[in-house]
Amino acid sequence: MPTTTATITLNSADITGDALSLTKTATLTKAGSNTGLDQFTGITTVVYSGAQTATKIVDAADYADTSTAHKVYIKNSAEGTSDFVTVELGGSNVFMGRLYPGDWCFFPYDGTLDVDIDTSAAGMKVEYGVFSQSVASS
Amino acid sequence: MPTTTATLTLSSADITGHNFNLTSTATLTKAGGSTGLDEFTGITSRTYAAAQTDTVVVADSIYASTTVAHKVYIRNTASGTSDYILVELEGNVIIGRLYPGDWMLMPYGGTLDVQVTTLATGVTIEYGVLSQSAAS
Repeated sequence: MPTTTATITLNSADITGDALSLTKTATLTKAGSNTGLDQFTGITTVVYSGAQTATKIVDAADYADTSTAHKVYIKNSAEGTSDFVTVELGGSNVFMGRLYPGDWCFFPYDGTLDVDIDTSAAGMKVEYGVFSQSVASS
Repeated sequence: MPTTTATLTLSSADITGHNFNLTSTATLTKAGGSTGLDEFTGITSRTYAAAQTDTVVVADSIYASTTVAHKVYIRNTASGTSDYILVELEGNVIIGRLYPGDWMLMPYGGTLDVQVTTLATGVTIEYGVLSQSAAS
């Protein structure tokens, strides 16, 4: 099975009185096992010609659900400082948060709710991808 | 203002037909500007003596909301393979499960609590919030 790792590094010399320097690496495995995630969408890059509202970028129907350890990556690749991507969950478009230019996110996904985005302007570039397991764990 | 960076590195030699390597670094700024986020909770580390149900780890009431660029970090530091942390937004909106060793960094709009549920006893968790003191 594939071996995929995800490493986060958070650094700041001045957000607290002590320097923040955190690095953690996760090996992406199926739920409840040491077996690696076996599916990957690749990284999709889209430049939206118009502003988007509740555009589905991860369709729950495409994924096993519940006992899963899927991961979703999204990045706002827009230039400047103002054009944001709103990340939402499910048919009710529950508001998770906003990604401003250059921001990325990486979060677990259990396959029960769609992941949608809004974009605040025309011409915005967004990257996204899903690491997943083909079948839910027992 | 502080300067904080978040770097993600994704790497796999065999999940596709070619080597996959992605590195992305974000400088964490306030919404709509180039000024750095100015608040940080620190990294909280907890070991839950009992299973948890909808335990609030990020309370929306203490954060500015909507026009914000907050970030929430959570990591399951348990050992083994089975003891997961279910991460939800208030109202039982499931984000997903973090299995031992898994971490997440998500944008946070400050409008809903972030909650965790654990099924086992003794599950350990780390979490922290990088935020802006006022909405932009």
